Amino acid sequence: MPAVGATLTRAGKRFLSSLPALFGVLVFTFLLMRVLPGDPAVFFASGPNAGKEEIEVIRKQMGLNKPVPEQLMLYLYDVGRGNLGRSMMTGQMVTKDLRERLPASLELTFTALLIALVTAVPLGVLAALRPGSAIDHGVRFFCALGVCVPTFVSGLLLIYVFYYLLGLAPDPTGRVDIFAALPPRQTGFLLIDFLLVGDFDGWWAAFRQLILPALSMALFVVAPLARITRASMLVSLGSDFVRTARSVGLPWWRVVVTYALRNAILPVITIAGIVFSTMLGANVLVEKVFSWPGVASYALDALLSSDYAPVQGFVLLMATVFVIVNLLVDILYGIADPRVTIG
Amino acid sequence: MSVTGSRRLLAVVAIAACSLAAGSAQAQTRAETLRYVTGASVNTLDPNIPGSTREAFAVSLSTYDRLVSFGRKQLNGKWVFDLGKITGELAESYEVSPDGLKMTFRLRKDAKFQDGSPVTADDVKWSLDRVVTAPVLGKAQLLTGSMTSADQFKVIDPLTIEVTLPKPDKLALPNLATVYPIIINSKVAKAHATPDDPWATAWLKENTAGSGAYKIETFKPGEQVIMARNEAWNRGTPDKSAFFKRVIVQSVPEPATRANLVERGDADIVVDLQASDVQSLEAKGKLKVISTPQYNAVTFISMNNQLPPFDNVNIRRAIAFALPYDDMFKAALFGRGSPLFGATWADGKPPNGVYPIPQPVKLDLEKAKEYLKAAGMPDGFSTTFSFNVGQASTAEPMAALVKESLAKIGIKVDIQKLPDAQMSTQINEKKLPFFTEGIVAWLPSTDYFYRNFYTGSQRWNYSSINNSELGEIAQKARFESDAAKYEEDGKKLNAIHFSEMPQIPLWQPSQDAVMASTVEGYTYQFHRQVDYRDLNRK
Repeated sequence: MPAVGATLTRAGKRFLSSLPALFGVLVFTFLLMRVLPGDPAVFFASGPNAGKEEIEVIRKQMGLNKPVPEQLMLYLYDVGRGNLGRSMMTGQMVTKDLRERLPASLELTFTALLIALVTAVPLGVLAALRPGSAIDHGVRFFCALGVCVPTFVSGLLLIYVFYYLLGLAPDPTGRVDIFAALPPRQTGFLLIDFLLVGDFDGWWAAFRQLILPALSMALFVVAPLARITRASMLVSLGSDFVRTARSVGLPWWRVVVTYALRNAILPVITIAGIVFSTMLGANVLVEKVFSWPGVASYALDALLSSDYAPVQGFVLLMATVFVIVNLLVDILYGIADPRVTIG
Repeated sequence: MSVTGSRRLLAVVAIAACSLAAGSAQAQTRAETLRYVTGASVNTLDPNIPGSTREAFAVSLSTYDRLVSFGRKQLNGKWVFDLGKITGELAESYEVSPDGLKMTFRLRKDAKFQDGSPVTADDVKWSLDRVVTAPVLGKAQLLTGSMTSADQFKVIDPLTIEVTLPKPDKLALPNLATVYPIIINSKVAKAHATPDDPWATAWLKENTAGSGAYKIETFKPGEQVIMARNEAWNRGTPDKSAFFKRVIVQSVPEPATRANLVERGDADIVVDLQASDVQSLEAKGKLKVISTPQYNAVTFISMNNQLPPFDNVNIRRAIAFALPYDDMFKAALFGRGSPLFGATWADGKPPNGVYPIPQPVKLDLEKAKEYLKAAGMPDGFSTTFSFNVGQASTAEPMAALVKESLAKIGIKVDIQKLPDAQMSTQINEKKLPFFTEGIVAWLPSTDYFYRNFYTGSQRWNYSSINNSELGEIAQKARFESDAAKYEEDGKKLNAIHFSEMPQIPLWQPSQDAVMASTVEGYTYQFHRQVDYRDLNRK
């Protein structure tokens, strides 16, 4: 399949061309953290009786006693060897922390995006089929509601109703019931790891735990996805090829799904890619509300305590994810519309 | 009913049955498990590591023993730790020589580390040497008990260790009961030491080698710690192993979720809820709420005594009489705590030498205006009032009330909310003119408070007060063995504090421990956390 080869070559080129941007992000975050007010050494030496000596010890531990250019050089050297430094907060290597926490965030974000897409695309299509109708208004109302309720509010509401009042949901802390045993870690995605060892009770427990946080995140992003689906469906429904398809007497669902939707889906993919990247970083509130051990809440805690290494590591990770998501979007584009890969 | 409808119903029934079954299977172990939820997290297994959190202290108190520990006493019907009563933990007995210069500890013969090897005086010496030698937090703490060098710790025989002091120091013995001088299995620790790290600080941060009531099962920094009971442990006050088979310490950042968890019975105990949640849980009456004023903590409003206009004592007094104390107490804490304002001192002298002592100040704008006039600023001035984000839930309403009230006497206040790291930096550099903070002393004696928080140029002297008389009395009082003279010194210190008004003590907030009604034995501890060894279930 030459198309696949072309897509991959293009993806490879795109990836290489984004390396300088990643490097820029790295240096910029490094400098930004040092410009921010607040001395992390003083903060971490906050035990009773910690004096000047303790502050100096911490400063040395964090490498802050050297001039900034030297710190930067050392940092770049470390990053080059895959070492993102040590977090003062958790006492662990940042790479280890991120590796442990990234799957949690990804699992949550993927699930939320899936829920959002499964809801938003049909809603958008329905709204586009009958513009101005009650359905259209209903969809608009639903979207407005989703966007205007911040995720932590919807999260707390969901907890209040499904956990506190009805007792249907499990206690909203972490990825799996705290008394349950975890599967051996293979991918870090609990839903996959449980399946790999064939533990369906465990899978079910992890799934139940995942629903509420994923729902509160999904609610927030249904709106942009539904709106974009509706808009591009409208364009595509009004175009010549749909009129032709209709006039030759094809069944309506075929016209809608095969002709209109396939053409309308491209902008939805673009938006979904952007939405995904933003969600991954922006789900900090959901992670806080549900005690979800993800990367975003980790980065926020680090930022509040001026813990440099985790913040820098997190920003680099997000930039990398963004690059990868963009690549994926490119590839999906190629599949949805083979013309894209030409040239 | 349609087909899909009945199928859905079936599914719901199946799910309900499954979760019920799961619930009953768990129930047996659940009663023997303590689940503690907290907003902060455990970040190290060695309390000595700079940056360790209070939650980490509570964990290490369960995994390690010290030579001695605090007894407990009742304060208004609630159990609190007792600074005056030191009991043996690893030490079977101890004696202090009549001149107060020597403390001899005899170790229990049956004490074993968790790997089965006996606890020896060599281990104790290594552990104490580590605290005063390695770059760890315990160093500064033991300094307050006159223990500064490894020469002071001497092994007499395998079960006896002697500590010598340069001067008789009241706080030497209590210092050994704090969280830092943990007794470590020196053979295990030494095996993990490196030339760069002779005290194995890196290894002990993520591993334990102790003799305590619990062993670490899993440790996920920032998420949870699960501990299993050490069946061989018998050092508790009731002389037997701890009650709970497992202890789960879990970080749940959202306070509302913590309240929900404990109310639904999924968590057993929590100490850091929002005051409003505590109030509503108490009103519902299903849970046990034990509120203890943190008698070793003080919340105050501080002024920088070196920066104009707060270098003028009359300005400080003007502020002290312009604060809306009652409103602040209600808005910030819902009245949960003990107030340190509105006292009456007969003939203007402090009634006792205890710190903190309720101050004879109340809202009196006329008096405040007089002081402003006396300071030569009858029209007031502008300043900023700072607090840190971490304390926003109590400090924010307080700041608004301060601003409103001071505006009435012409002082314009700009409220500044600072991220925690930034706030501590500015405090350390003595740059903040006017702010609120809180202090805690593990060993709450009058001289300790005055020496640590009102003298010197270190960060903890929040008001940057420099009063030679206060400094001298506080130093002298430390080694004062005559109780009556000590009380006299305390009164003098309190009198200087009031006349100088370096900062304004507001209140001692309550520690509200909310727990399942079956949990018993809770004791308010010096580190303001739960000592899991105290607890049991009816």
